[in-house]
Amino acid sequence: MTRRNRPPLAQWRAVILHRDHPSVDALRRQLELLQIRVTVCWPHLDEAQAVADVVFFDADMGHDGQFPWPRGFAPMPMIALIGSEAPGRIEWALDQGSNAHLLKPIGSTGAYSALLIASHAYEQVRAQADNIRVLEDRLRQRPIVVRAILHLLQNEGGGEAAAWKRLRSVAMDWGMTIEDAAEAICRNDKHTRSGA
Amino acid sequence: MSLNVVPVSILYSTTGPYAAVGREAVSGAMAAVAEINSDPAYGFTIAAKIDDPGGRAEAYAGLGQCAIRDYRCRHIIGTLTSWSRKDLLPVVERNGALLWYAFPYEGYEASDSVVYLGPCPNQHLLPLFDYVLPRYGRQPFIVGSNYIWGWEISRIAREITEASGGQVVSDRYVPLGSTEVDHLVTEIQQKKPDFIFSNLVGQSATAFIEAYGAFRKNQPDAPPIVACNLSESDLDGLSPEARCGHVTTSIYFDRLETPENKAFKARMAARQGAGRMISTPFMSAYMAMSILARSIADAGSDAPEAVRSIATSRLFDTPVGPIGIDPRTHHAAFRPHLGLSDEDGGFTLLQSANEVISADPYLVRSLMKRVAAPHPVTLKVVK
Repeated sequence: MTRRNRPPLAQWRAVILHRDHPSVDALRRQLELLQIRVTVCWPHLDEAQAVADVVFFDADMGHDGQFPWPRGFAPMPMIALIGSEAPGRIEWALDQGSNAHLLKPIGSTGAYSALLIASHAYEQVRAQADNIRVLEDRLRQRPIVVRAILHLLQNEGGGEAAAWKRLRSVAMDWGMTIEDAAEAICRNDKHTRSGA
Repeated sequence: MSLNVVPVSILYSTTGPYAAVGREAVSGAMAAVAEINSDPAYGFTIAAKIDDPGGRAEAYAGLGQCAIRDYRCRHIIGTLTSWSRKDLLPVVERNGALLWYAFPYEGYEASDSVVYLGPCPNQHLLPLFDYVLPRYGRQPFIVGSNYIWGWEISRIAREITEASGGQVVSDRYVPLGSTEVDHLVTEIQQKKPDFIFSNLVGQSATAFIEAYGAFRKNQPDAPPIVACNLSESDLDGLSPEARCGHVTTSIYFDRLETPENKAFKARMAARQGAGRMISTPFMSAYMAMSILARSIADAGSDAPEAVRSIATSRLFDTPVGPIGIDPRTHHAAFRPHLGLSDEDGGFTLLQSANEVISADPYLVRSLMKRVAAPHPVTLKVVK
């Protein structure tokens, strides 16, 4: 079983983006029990509130343009408050980057598990996005690896296997990725030269 | 059984943005109350607690709570828009009461605390589009009131249209109650759709039909308005030219030539004078109150659980024929009809489904079949 870090909820600030409603009162009560500072706003979330640690948003009456960031790029976990289980509304909530949801009417439970699930899902999405970015960078650097192998074949002799071995050893010796090592070889950095 | 007087809440907006429809619904419910209270066979009378939320969704929950707590109502017949139903629902569920909802809606709901006596999309939108797409074309202009009904019906219509190879020309919304509709007519004029699919509600629908009628006066080839929720009360007060030529689907039309409807209309004529057209909202609320009373009589109690159990286990004679309510979904099965409006503000029957269609509130059965292998619901021509 993986042990996960629980978020420091007592230091969190939450925004509830929802019109006045009994469900908002119930949610506020749950969050304040967790010592989370709560701000309720409607119909827009302004930039000053974008520093919140979590946003609960109305999926029923919500619309594009309520958030000060592009659709799907929230800088914090997002929790949808769903009353209508209609596909159009759920798709809209997903487009906003919803990491968890709570069904309305909201009673005395649900917020804590939604917070933990949303926090975990958000961190996971962010970590995956970082990984994807790294992999995409490496993909973009593929041609430089090919150029480095050709460079080694031409300048240091030996076969393809020897060129690969040399590239890997440069990367290992200097603590670089293969792609960065390839770039250094193509630049003809002096520490990548044989016998240097 | 110790029932003498059963308090029932009637919660429709008789003022505000969809007041005309609400007034019809209250009249229908009260027509049923009059029949029940004068029929000793029931063994009890209904005490109607009528409240008017004024078309403000946020007012329904408070009035519902008051009717349940202060007047001991265990049943509410009411709400017209899904917006108001969804605001009232938590109160009904929390108090163990039962809501009798009697209007077309967008589906995606099946609460244990609601009896759904209005059609959902597989009973209104699908038969309507099966009729209009082959006849008028596959490029609708969609306009609706800006809340869940308009959004979701528009989305389903788009899916059906695209699955049939068509394309939605435009998709526009106006705030609930707004009568600013001229820009829609201008856009229709420019974009030349095959037909206009309207999900407007109340005075927005009436204003739009009026504005479109003025445009159509000089454009005899202008395409029709089609709708899932157009009723006689929406056309009331409009000019004869504006009223006619629109296609709607409904579980009821005043001109249904069935023995059940003839008997119903005769009773209503005796109550409120002959010559008055019966609207779908009137009939729907009447039907809801009648089924509730008969369920209470059978159950020997107005306890919601007992009433629900009876309501979902037998057929009820209604103006639209025998009606059964599915115990799993709490939705009634209906035989949808299609009608064409005329200058009198009534609807001439175009087609009727061959049989009753059970509700598929989450469209898991109907839409999947359609998108995988499109084929129309069989309708027969009414002669």
